[in-house]
Amino acid sequence: MDFAYTPEQETLRDNVRTFIQENVTDEVRQEIEDLGIRRRGPKVRELYAKLGERGWVGISWPREYGGQDGSRIDQYIVEEEFARAGITVGGAGSGAPAILAAGTEEQKKYYLPGLINGEISFALGFTEPQAGADLASLQCRAVRDGDEYVINGQKMFTTAAHYASHIYLMARTDPEAPKHRGISIFLIPMDTERITVRALWTIQNEPQAPAGTTYGDARTNEVFFEDVRVPASCLLGEENTGWYVGAMGLNLDRVGASRYLISVQRDEDIVNYVKENDLGGMNLAEDSSVRDRIAELWTEAQVCRLMTMRSMSLVEKGGNFTYEGSAEKVFAPEHGVRTTETIAQILGPYAQLLNGSEDAVEEGVFAHNLMGSFQSGINHGSTQVMRDQIARRGLGMPRT
Amino acid sequence: MDVLPNEEEQMVKNLAREFLEAECPPRLARDMEKDDLGYPPELWKQLADLGWLGISLPERYGGQGLPLTYLGLITEELGRAIAPVPFHSTMVAALTIAAAGSDDQKQDLLPRAGRGDLVLTWAFSEENPRLLPETIQCQAVEDGDNFILSGTKMFVDNFVAAEKCLVACRTAPASDAGAGISLLLVDAGSTGVSQIPLTTLAKDKQSKVNFNSVRVPKANLVGELHQGWPVAQQMLDRGTALLCAQMVGAARKDAEMGIDYAKNRVAFGRPIAGFQSIQHICADMILWVDGAQLLTYEALWKMDQGLPASMEVSQAKSFCNDKCEAVVRSSQVLHGGMGFMMEFDLHLWYRRVTAWTMRLGTSFEHRSRIARGLLDQPGHVRLGMNLEVPA
Ligand SMILES: Cc1cc2nc3c(=O)[nH]c(=O)nc-3n(C[C@H](O)[C@H](O)[C@H](O)COP(=O)(O)OP(=O)(O)OC[C@H]3O[C@@H](n4cnc5c(N)ncnc54)[C@H](O)[C@@H]3O)c2cc1C
Ligand SMILES: Cc1cc2nc3c(=O)[nH]c(=O)nc-3n(C[C@H](O)[C@H](O)[C@H](O)COP(=O)(O)OP(=O)(O)OC[C@H]3O[C@@H](n4cnc5c(N)ncnc54)[C@H](O)[C@@H]3O)c2cc1C
Repeated sequence: MDFAYTPEQETLRDNVRTFIQENVTDEVRQEIEDLGIRRRGPKVRELYAKLGERGWVGISWPREYGGQDGSRIDQYIVEEEFARAGITVGGAGSGAPAILAAGTEEQKKYYLPGLINGEISFALGFTEPQAGADLASLQCRAVRDGDEYVINGQKMFTTAAHYASHIYLMARTDPEAPKHRGISIFLIPMDTERITVRALWTIQNEPQAPAGTTYGDARTNEVFFEDVRVPASCLLGEENTGWYVGAMGLNLDRVGASRYLISVQRDEDIVNYVKENDLGGMNLAEDSSVRDRIAELWTEAQVCRLMTMRSMSLVEKGGNFTYEGSAEKVFAPEHGVRTTETIAQILGPYAQLLNGSEDAVEEGVFAHNLMGSFQSGINHGSTQVMRDQIARRGLGMPRT
Repeated sequence: MDVLPNEEEQMVKNLAREFLEAECPPRLARDMEKDDLGYPPELWKQLADLGWLGISLPERYGGQGLPLTYLGLITEELGRAIAPVPFHSTMVAALTIAAAGSDDQKQDLLPRAGRGDLVLTWAFSEENPRLLPETIQCQAVEDGDNFILSGTKMFVDNFVAAEKCLVACRTAPASDAGAGISLLLVDAGSTGVSQIPLTTLAKDKQSKVNFNSVRVPKANLVGELHQGWPVAQQMLDRGTALLCAQMVGAARKDAEMGIDYAKNRVAFGRPIAGFQSIQHICADMILWVDGAQLLTYEALWKMDQGLPASMEVSQAKSFCNDKCEAVVRSSQVLHGGMGFMMEFDLHLWYRRVTAWTMRLGTSFEHRSRIARGLLDQPGHVRLGMNLEVPA
């Protein structure tokens, strides 16, 4: 065991922090605030270009596709520092792990450098109105027609579909096969004809949640495909293997810096808040109930950190996840909810004040978190389904 | 950064497990609950021969000088096997002597401890069981070449088996110069020492020990006079981290027994392991033990590196207290009525883990230390940073 980063990794972290101080300027932040981080304006594009030059995106990816052949832990360090500054670098939903694992040479050469320089981003087209946790029951249909596929169907809760360059789509290619064996993945430009996007507004809209809120997105989407024709080269991996290709990406998607941070950032916030503020003369840092609960939450947050590090350690050793990613995906989101709800009881009525309200605490982040934190236990594998996986894959228990 | 045991560490752990599975069946733990000494000397000797007692003692004094993490892994396996041996108490005292004792003391005691010829224990808690210097009322006054020690210690582990006991006592009032605590190594057989056995949940060997004007030679002072609190605190932290390892080992075994039972127990026409509500209990048990284990390893590793580890120790123990307890209780639930039966072994683990949650700091005590580290010193906190409980 070794619970420290190497001196080189500490230096990397310092360099990234310095870079952020120097380059994530007020103007950049303003642009992010106006557009949202993943919807890149000119300043953010410029920032990504600089990141790419330094080799900080996709560090663990192969050099031939723009990566550094570096360690997953180095990549984690960069991702964590940027995530703390409100900027997504690689991490969740990049689509890259699956492309690396299953893509053709052409696809890797096209997509990976594009993901690195920020020209390409994916919306994830998994969920459908009738297929959520039970994703494999999805019905969106792709039919081969010569050199093309024709796609019909609907996707639901497709975050980023209104600004992403591409959609990473799961569709059914063989309706006769058992449900996991008839699915394929397609990488499709969003400007393809006959794809339409309709906004779905979340409970974080009006007022907009402040940066860093857990599930603070004001908007997600429905995406409709009506006789959408795409070249067969959009297929990722073999036809009908999409479930397994997707799983490669998802497992890695459940771990990493941004997943970890959305569950623990409020722990740091509340400690720092009660240290530095009082409520009308009441010093919360001296209240013994508050102290006990904060210490408990802090300890749980350390477990979230260590579970993330365990996943990194496993990846680094080239080992396989059996249940570890699922374990993290249960513990961390449920912890985030406990923290969020405890903070409400620590701050009392101040924790209800939303962004922009008179007397809102920390721009209302705690109030907005109450509307979003429970979502992290539903997305990307709900805690119930994750527990099933721990029991079945990790503990060898039978299907129910 | 690699939070998993490396190959060598894993090998030591596996060997320890193999040995204990062969040589330390649950029957032994059961028998020793009724034994006067509380441990089988033959097994103790075997552990010494395997090198376990000296694994983290200094090489100069016959030990192997391996990192504390190795001792932690062995302790974890002993916990898994609920091995009835005075390992924890002996190691806690021996490591304290190794850290703060004089060369003569080390020369005299450590090789014997490593060989299995010397069972040790330590005594801190008193009537007020909080692990703070102000609770210490046992007093030692100087008298020529001796101290005269008087007072009562509570919950002294394995006192009936120990030849010597490291006693935290007051030699001066607390002042700006320090807490006024000293550590004395007392022969358990000295005139004026008496003990009353306590009947405990774990049915282990704990004693209430009375010191009635006991003469302790000045040569038995461990560390500096009046300056024993920092040494005692280190001792408590080390003991706590090792106890966490023991709890993690026992709780994981207990969880595995519950999971196996669920796979075999049929109700409503199928193994209860096929019910989702049972599966989710099992998933939680594993999550909790994993978390407890990661926190414990981090605490041991930091301590071994000589880094401040007070926060990590308290994180580990408060989490172990709450979650290892939840694990062993859940396993009882999975076992239905059987877990409640004396003839069935599960309770051997349940009673021990539960008792260990109250030893070396309750959740409240440890969380109060964590809160001090977080809230009672200036500066922004960030997860992953080094923090320390302020003195
Ligand atoms: C803000 C937001 C952003 C999102 N972004 C995306 C995105 O970009 N792309 C995308 O594809 N999807 C996205 N989603 C969808 C998300 O992944 C789904 O909400 C999730 O998969 C759950 O599906 P569902 O909402 O249909 O719930 P359901 O599947 O209907 O589940 C309802 C409840 O039943 C439980 N449940 C289901 N099956 C079982 C079972 N076997 N045992 C026990 N309990 C069970 C679930 O845990 C849940 O609590 C997003 C959702 C939100 C809210
Ligand atoms: C002290 C004591 C006194 C007792 N006195 C009497 C008495 O006087 N007369 C008498 O007849 N009995 C008595 N009992 C028996 C008691 O009623 C049983 O222990 C109880 O019914 C549970 O049965 P079991 O022990 O076989 O557990 P099991 O039925 O094997 O259950 C094991 C576990 O599986 C769970 N489980 C079972 N089915 C499901 C399911 N479908 N879904 C999810 N989980 C499930 C249970 O909740 C339990 O956690 C006594 C038991 C004890 C311990």
